Amino acid sequence: MSGKPKLLAISSPGGHWIQLTRLCKDLENRYNIVYAMPGDLFGTASTLKGKKVYSVTDVSADDKWRLIPCSLQVLYVLLRERPKAILSTGAAPGAVAIWLGSLLGIRTIWVDSIANVKQISRAGRLAQKRADIFLTQWEHLSNGQNILFKGAVL
Amino acid sequence: MIFVAVGTQFPFDRLIRYVDEWAGNHAVAGFAQIAGGAYQPQHVRWERFMSTDAFNQHLQAASLIISHAGMGNIITALENRKPIIVMNRQHALGEHRNDHQLDGLEWMGKLPGVYTASTQEELYALLEQRHELQAASAAPGSRKQSLVDFIDQAIRA
Repeated sequence: MSGKPKLLAISSPGGHWIQLTRLCKDLENRYNIVYAMPGDLFGTASTLKGKKVYSVTDVSADDKWRLIPCSLQVLYVLLRERPKAILSTGAAPGAVAIWLGSLLGIRTIWVDSIANVKQISRAGRLAQKRADIFLTQWEHLSNGQNILFKGAVL
Repeated sequence: MIFVAVGTQFPFDRLIRYVDEWAGNHAVAGFAQIAGGAYQPQHVRWERFMSTDAFNQHLQAASLIISHAGMGNIITALENRKPIIVMNRQHALGEHRNDHQLDGLEWMGKLPGVYTASTQEELYALLEQRHELQAASAAPGSRKQSLVDFIDQAIRA
């Protein structure tokens, strides 16, 4: 067992995942990072390029019923892994993790996707209600208070 | 040398054809990564898929990158300090499942070193002035590093 604090990094596949893994690449030496991503099968963590990745049910605005299995699966991962903090770049499953994490007293950090240049994403607005730290990657979307700009993946 | 790459998920024959024909008319050497495309370039060399190493070699040998509007190629181009032109796939032409690549042009075009084209005319206009297209002056690493450091501090706070 390493003495490094545990971090759960969760995002949707595609661009969200590219951004998440870029951030985590620089955090790997400081944290024990466990990943979660929507995928086909929920189950125990598999290994993807050396990363421990849990698969959870995807959810979007079009299929809200999936919130139930998604929430239960994320809760399972949180209880099993007991991370010190949660980091997400979106979308909806990340917001679920932020909500559940905050209820469990886990530190929560949201980085809104760089693709959201006009406004904060819909999932981001949900996460914002609960996230300890809420970051945008565009300076003009920051309000200097509860929406911060501290840099970008690109 | 120009390097055009369309990712691995879908073909993007329209972009490959535009670049191939332009390269032929202007006697410019190029290399194309065309995925499962039906159009086979006549003027530039091409591969359907390539290893990451081969991809990086072609990218580094090129002075200009042309790509579908995908985040992966943009990241690689910026990290290698190459100017990149991105064109969006169109849902109406059966090139993608939706039009999110068009939305992508909006933010991608705000990044230094990234140029956007949504039509053949816009693409050719950029190609005509290819010697003026600038790579980003700074590697993207500094913006990322400050974000990562802030996240690290925020977790430990």
